[in-house]
Amino acid sequence: MVTIDELIKDTGAYDCVECGKCTTVCPISNANPKFAPRLIVVKAMAGLEGLAQEPDIWTCTTCETCSDMCPYKVMYSEFIRGLRVEAVSLGVKPRCSQHGLMQNMMRMMTNPGIKQNRLKWVTPELKIADKGEVFYFTGCLPQMSIIFEDREGVNLLGIAQSAVKIFNRAGITPVVSNQEVCCGHDLNWAGDEKNVEKLMKINLDMIKNSGAKKVVFSCPECLRTFDVDYQDMAGDLDYEFMHISEFVADLIDEGKIAFNKLEEKVTYHDPCRLGRHLGIYDAPRDVLKATGADLIEMGRNMKKSACCGVSAWVSCESLTKKMQLERMVEAVGTGAKKLITACPKCQIHLRCAVSKEMPFEKEKADIPIQDFTIMVANSLK
Amino acid sequence: MVNKALIIGAGVAGIQASLDLADKGIEVYVVEKEPSIGGRMSQLDKTFPTNDCSICILAPKMADCFGHPNINVLTYSEVQDVAGKAGDFKVKVLKKARHVDEEKCTGCGDCMAKCPVKNIPNKFEMGLGTRRAIYLPFLQAVPRVATIDAEKCLYLTQGKCGNCAKICQRGAILYDQKDETVELNVGAIIIATGYDVWDPTPASEYGYGKYPNVYTAMEYERLICAAGPTQGHMERRSDQKRPQKIAFIQCVGSRNVQLEHPYCCSVCCMHSTKEAILAREHHDDIESFIFYKDLRTFGKGFNEYMERAKKDYGVVYTNSDATVQENPENHNPIVVYDVAGHPEKKEVDIVVLATTLIPRPETRKLAEKIGISMDKFGFLESVDKLLAPLDTRVPGIFLAGYCHEPMDIPEAVAQASGAAARAAEVMVVE
Repeated sequence: MVTIDELIKDTGAYDCVECGKCTTVCPISNANPKFAPRLIVVKAMAGLEGLAQEPDIWTCTTCETCSDMCPYKVMYSEFIRGLRVEAVSLGVKPRCSQHGLMQNMMRMMTNPGIKQNRLKWVTPELKIADKGEVFYFTGCLPQMSIIFEDREGVNLLGIAQSAVKIFNRAGITPVVSNQEVCCGHDLNWAGDEKNVEKLMKINLDMIKNSGAKKVVFSCPECLRTFDVDYQDMAGDLDYEFMHISEFVADLIDEGKIAFNKLEEKVTYHDPCRLGRHLGIYDAPRDVLKATGADLIEMGRNMKKSACCGVSAWVSCESLTKKMQLERMVEAVGTGAKKLITACPKCQIHLRCAVSKEMPFEKEKADIPIQDFTIMVANSLK
Repeated sequence: MVNKALIIGAGVAGIQASLDLADKGIEVYVVEKEPSIGGRMSQLDKTFPTNDCSICILAPKMADCFGHPNINVLTYSEVQDVAGKAGDFKVKVLKKARHVDEEKCTGCGDCMAKCPVKNIPNKFEMGLGTRRAIYLPFLQAVPRVATIDAEKCLYLTQGKCGNCAKICQRGAILYDQKDETVELNVGAIIIATGYDVWDPTPASEYGYGKYPNVYTAMEYERLICAAGPTQGHMERRSDQKRPQKIAFIQCVGSRNVQLEHPYCCSVCCMHSTKEAILAREHHDDIESFIFYKDLRTFGKGFNEYMERAKKDYGVVYTNSDATVQENPENHNPIVVYDVAGHPEKKEVDIVVLATTLIPRPETRKLAEKIGISMDKFGFLESVDKLLAPLDTRVPGIFLAGYCHEPMDIPEAVAQASGAAARAAEVMVVE
């Protein structure tokens, strides 16, 4: 855990010139005039006490629209995360949605003796292995598929099944392990670094034992956590971490898979973790085009993609619905038949907004959401 | 020891240096890439802090320079190579063919009136105005000689037309003219190649290129200039309506690590203030809003200039950076800015982006050839920033103006005179 001074230095917050450009693009600021990324930094620089107890540090969705725009590349979301770590160490309880179920489930997985039954989704025609060159990390898809069983329009196990189908079609038998534990993303962004380290050790041991050189993720949050946060904690790891969109793009280049051109009209939502956090914008688009999809871009796309409204289950509040509905309305407005996203969380969060109790007619915001991996698998020849 | 000097670049700095040297009896070559000398200062409407008409104070110097018995101006020419050493440089210059005889052409304009290839975006007007395939870059061009754009000319590309040769009463059209390489032998060289205006299209948060009513500051200068493409009537792109609310956004591209120009371009706090003042001088009802990160009005009298803008011209300054959206019904830009941590929106008629100014790529190539050091942005470096700021690490080659570092006109002129003195030392010292 670092001090506020170290946090200011590490995140470049010292470079903030208080120009406010972050405020002009922050999705939370635009919905909640009391919140602005730079206000927290201003208070920290002024040496104000009690920053870690500010409720506003939990409002930020860490979407990084601010730091992407910041002329001085101040890492606001890292700053917020650092404050959350301090808050938790001081005994602050974050306001977790789902009554804290998600974080508790993740903490349970730090128990090395835990017995999981995670592989029931593997149907007979899907080939997986215990050892191999390529590891497919499913993340919390199995658990979340149960927790969100009754959420309309959400298909999570299909993502894992589609991923394995794609690997198999390309002649690859991926390692899929029953020993997987949560990557720890939602604990990391809720200030619980200690448990992330425990989860990391379990996961890294598991991958080492599998003999894999390449780890492929269908969830950008898992990918970010392995690629950025684990390497921050454990030093350089000698694996290649990639998102499934990048993996499929490579397969296309190598001529290992082909598609039946489906020619569906789709629009694509860039997840924050895949886009702004990791810079992966082109691979999913290249793949979608290769499947024959007619991709219609939303106005707020690529670097300007609108956050799905929630991060780490701590920032869900009254204005979240507003942000989510605006995004869904934007997607409907493109005229596309489907909204494709490459992050299971985005799918869960965006579908949460569309329900019977909405402030306007359902058709204005109701568009089917399909995960990128499922769409690709459905298009395979 | 050759008692001649070469000045590369004929903007205000190059022109000043040439006059200083020529008045001392030293023979000077001035090599200018464009068909006319004058550089950026000729594109500005007025200059801060005096609000003088820019071309009015520059043109006499341009005329002096061109007409001076000791100065040889080579326009539409570029330096290809430099060899030798201080006191004895051999310089290869490419004189591009303008296909017009400089001795015979009087700039009467008959050819331009008859040229059928119209609507070519005019670089001098920043694309807001057009020219023809045979053209004068601007009204006060020096030399007042037409130039044929060989890529657009019907005769040169397809053997058709030939109107200009038929109409020219002086027989000045030379379709067969070829590019020529001349070799100059000089004792000292001054580089004064100036800047380019950065294109803000990649910074999509400003909407330049997407929203029609978002302009760069240099485009705005041409828009309000009485000799500009709209005769000073500020007709905006989308509907030719005269703006009543203008927003200026500072530091567009500069002081920005994301957009890779972390330096301050040094002049735009002042030039936006000037442009806001000029807008009110054009029309009493124009309201100007300047959005800034910091107000860097640091020269003598500059802060007072800015205070005058606030008090006497009603310019409103807001300490916030901004991004731009658009009202799709009328193409009015909407400026989004921060007031104490709350985002606010203001709908205006046009937005003027104070875009950063960058070193030219041609200067970089030249410096690499000659062996002059550059910083990572392409600004040419002096051998000692403190005590020999105009000397490059190649003895006999000196710097002046924006190619060296961001500066305004008075500083560029001062550096030019300084560089001229340094150059003269090379040649006069025995």
